[in-house]
Amino acid sequence: MSFDAAVFAVSWPGDRDTGTQALQAEQQLNRFLADVERRALRIAEIAVRDRDEALDLVQDAMIRLVRKYGQRGSDEWAPLFYRILQNGIRDWHRRQVVRNRVMVWFGRGSGVDESYDPVAGAADPLGRTPDEDLQNSEAMASLESALRTLPARQREAFMLRTFEGLDVAGTAVAMGCSAGSVKTHYSRAMHALREQLVEHGPDSGWPGD
Amino acid sequence: MKERDEELGRRAKALFDESVDGLDAASLSHLNRGRQAALAELSRRRQQWVRWMPAAGATVAVLIAILVLAPQQQAPEVPIAVADMEILLGEDDIDMLEELEFYSWIDIAEQDDDVG
Repeated sequence: MSFDAAVFAVSWPGDRDTGTQALQAEQQLNRFLADVERRALRIAEIAVRDRDEALDLVQDAMIRLVRKYGQRGSDEWAPLFYRILQNGIRDWHRRQVVRNRVMVWFGRGSGVDESYDPVAGAADPLGRTPDEDLQNSEAMASLESALRTLPARQREAFMLRTFEGLDVAGTAVAMGCSAGSVKTHYSRAMHALREQLVEHGPDSGWPGD
Repeated sequence: MKERDEELGRRAKALFDESVDGLDAASLSHLNRGRQAALAELSRRRQQWVRWMPAAGATVAVLIAILVLAPQQQAPEVPIAVADMEILLGEDDIDMLEELEFYSWIDIAEQDDDVG
């Protein structure tokens, strides 16, 4: 018996089952978070372009999920977790806008890297995975760049449906909108991505016409 | 069109999974610490609850005792009319009531004797 279960057994001897159930629920949460955290990090990183900021957003989402929805059924965790994460990403972008305005006020420039090249910027993750196949790396860089050009809602719909594998209903919960809106955002995202990625030609590693 | 979209989706998913698998050790370690911090929140809340359980139990016991005992201590006085009805309805007490004048006469007589 672990320490937590022992605490229950000592404090409430007739309720060992409750302590065991609580531990099982905690282990289930641990498995869920361990399963989802790496994909969540990459999704957040694509959205905010910064690994450290993405790590903070994912950690915050994990804590909020445990605190607010830990007692919910495990089948609800994925949409709820991504809803928290997407809200965090949107808040992050809002803060960035305010921060940029303040920077402009103090005459430190717009705060936006206007010379930012999406393709060049997307090369950073490639440097962290030097063993990857070059073509796949370039294709992924192209995908990330294309995703960053999409409106936020389209990007969310695409990443949640394609990367995380949520169904339409789960994506609707995560995005806080209707299933119809999810389908519209996803369809438009797919259309825009196809146009952008196929332009890279047959060597891009993307399926063309 | 649909087939091309599905193919694009599969390709994007494969590339994404590859990039997930390529995450560096520092990031994975950071994620692990974040997860443990989140789960620690759960344990902390539970242990807090366990810590307060004896006090909460004692409080509940006191409240139950008050609820059980309070009606007996604060029972309203039986109205006189009701008390009279009980006396009148009790068969054993009727004889005593019939002799009430006699007992009153004895009291008065004893008081007169004391004075005399």
